[in-house]
Amino acid sequence: MATVTLRGIRKNFKETEVLRGIDLAIADGEFVSLVGPSGCGKSTLLRIIAGLESASGGSIEIGGAPVDRLRAADRNLSMVFQSYALYPHLTVAENIAVPLRMRQLNTAQRLPLIGRAVPGARERGREIDARVLEAAKTLEIDQLLDRKPGQLSGGQRQRVALGRALVRAPAAFLLDEPLSNLDAKLRVHTRTEIAELHRRLAATFIYVTHDQVEAMTMSSRIAVMMSGEILQCDAPTRIYEDPNDLRVAEFIGSPRINVLPAESDSSGRISVLGKGLPLALHEGRQTLQLALRPEALSLTHHTPLLQGRVVHAENLGHEVFVQISLDGAEQRVVLRTDPAMQAQLHLGAKVGLTFDPNRALIFDAKGQRQRNLLRALQEIPA
Amino acid sequence: MSVADLPSSAAMRRATADPDRRQASAGWLMSAPALALMLTILIAPVLLALMLSFTDYSLGNPSFNWVGWDNYERIFTRSTYTKMLSATFTYVITVVPLSVGLGLGAALLIQSLTRGAAIYKAVYFLPVMATLLAMTIVWQLMLHPSIGVINRGLEGLCAMPFTRGLLSLSFLGLSPEATWFGRVCTEGAPLWLGDRDYAIWVVCFIGIWQGFGFNMVLYLAGLTGVSRELYAAAEMDGARSYWERFRLVTWPALGPTTVFVVTITCIRAFQAFDTVEALFSPGGGPGKSVYVMMFAIYEKGVTQNLMGIGAAITVLFLIFVMILTLIQHWITERKVHYT
Repeated sequence: MATVTLRGIRKNFKETEVLRGIDLAIADGEFVSLVGPSGCGKSTLLRIIAGLESASGGSIEIGGAPVDRLRAADRNLSMVFQSYALYPHLTVAENIAVPLRMRQLNTAQRLPLIGRAVPGARERGREIDARVLEAAKTLEIDQLLDRKPGQLSGGQRQRVALGRALVRAPAAFLLDEPLSNLDAKLRVHTRTEIAELHRRLAATFIYVTHDQVEAMTMSSRIAVMMSGEILQCDAPTRIYEDPNDLRVAEFIGSPRINVLPAESDSSGRISVLGKGLPLALHEGRQTLQLALRPEALSLTHHTPLLQGRVVHAENLGHEVFVQISLDGAEQRVVLRTDPAMQAQLHLGAKVGLTFDPNRALIFDAKGQRQRNLLRALQEIPA
Repeated sequence: MSVADLPSSAAMRRATADPDRRQASAGWLMSAPALALMLTILIAPVLLALMLSFTDYSLGNPSFNWVGWDNYERIFTRSTYTKMLSATFTYVITVVPLSVGLGLGAALLIQSLTRGAAIYKAVYFLPVMATLLAMTIVWQLMLHPSIGVINRGLEGLCAMPFTRGLLSLSFLGLSPEATWFGRVCTEGAPLWLGDRDYAIWVVCFIGIWQGFGFNMVLYLAGLTGVSRELYAAAEMDGARSYWERFRLVTWPALGPTTVFVVTITCIRAFQAFDTVEALFSPGGGPGKSVYVMMFAIYEKGVTQNLMGIGAAITVLFLIFVMILTLIQHWITERKVHYT
């Protein structure tokens, strides 16, 4: 188990800049997710950490030692691939044993048939068998050891791929979208299992996903990547509640965060769609963006801050997402509410909305978060 | 409408009572033309050959006699046919592994190239595209004992003391008779096509030279199907050398291709004919050392008009090919993994 430190990692594919200086320090035993839309460079970054791809610039340290000159096989990392990458001609047991056989047996001992006769091969072989069985039991695939990958379901293959990664104790585990080929139900189940596995092994995990739910549910920290940069790397709750960048706020959270055009006047006071809010910035007049999570909005009959009509409602059973077209604005906002409220929320119903100004996230025109807000009315200079 | 046009009540009852059977007979009726074609142009000739192999028929004769197993007995007892079997198997056992191995090697090398792969592919495929008969005549010229490029070249190397010393290993203190090149220099270059020690190997060489490009193309196609991620997985699992990755990923993934390539090459090797016909007709080479099966069939059945013995060799040939196909089937079922 070890720390992984990235400093200024850059990667160019010919003219295209895929990674633009990635800095990331991952602590020992931490579970860090690299999350972002497809094409943001997260998989490339993982492959660079693994050593399967070379960086155009920057350096990587694993356990404090630089590994830039080491090839992938010598970096002591395990990787789970999106396609699982199991060897189709080997049984489950043989697949899981490959990393051990490659590292613990010499070339002569690995030879087919005669390898077993080489001195020392038998004892090592028995050790390897025991380790394979142990890993298989951990993942509850010990019944499948004699099968070939072709005879397994997607979920079982995924477990075998995990087993092959955890059969030895590497410095860190790298997982490249390991759940994306599973069906929704199995994905939720495996998510829990991977998180528990991480807790049990207390190992360093680097997990690449485009699914923000996976990142939110499993990680100690999430690194949100977009166009080759890490926009923010924080604990899941911080990422969700306190994003630094509008792109982070928009990427994390489902349904998407509501973004409304806002502005501040010469005294710094913020208003949204013409309604003044008890919030102010020190700076003077500027265009702003105000972001609200669907759960920050609530229905009201008295002095609503926003008004609109219901255009669509999605009942998920335990909650309802209502899309409301705002008066005086082009976009819709999404409100999360209780299914009990649905009777009032028939299509076309006129509703009033309000929100706690403290839960509003203010971004400038470029999408940078504005944190130095004056909250209470009395603080605002006249 | 007359009464005769109406289906009889019994037939109608039968038809309605058993729709499955009616459908089955309709099926047979519709596939009858295809079945008839298959029987007449695919199966009948083989059965005819099988029948002829038990006779002494000659083309143009009004009748023939049944001779039982005589033709087969001759194949397994007469020295000519023993030589035929020996030449055929020497050819197959030499040409198949080498042209498959070279094809695979060339494909792997070409695949590892970043530039110029197309040129290599074209060059290695040239002998496959050129007709073997035409190329054999070129080889005949090159292998000519006195005016051929090969023997001229060997003489040239013998004439230069440096290359003579190097190639005959006489710098190691070996006598000129100890090495092949030393003997060439002292006793003269070999009569490639006239010497029974060389003739079959020359034919094997031309067979490999001509065939491996074809195998290379098949292997190149097979290599495109190998998952890139498997190589990455092998690297992560600690497969450091090229050989380890080849054994763990490439070779198993090429299993289906290899079975196909080996079977095709075997069948082509059994069918070797053009080279022998061009270089050694009539007779089949010095001491019948290059008397391969296809050539024997042609010589007996066509040139000498001994249809019976020609047919018997044909049947034997078919049996060998059938055995090969069965082995291929067996290996495919058990050892090859299609993902």
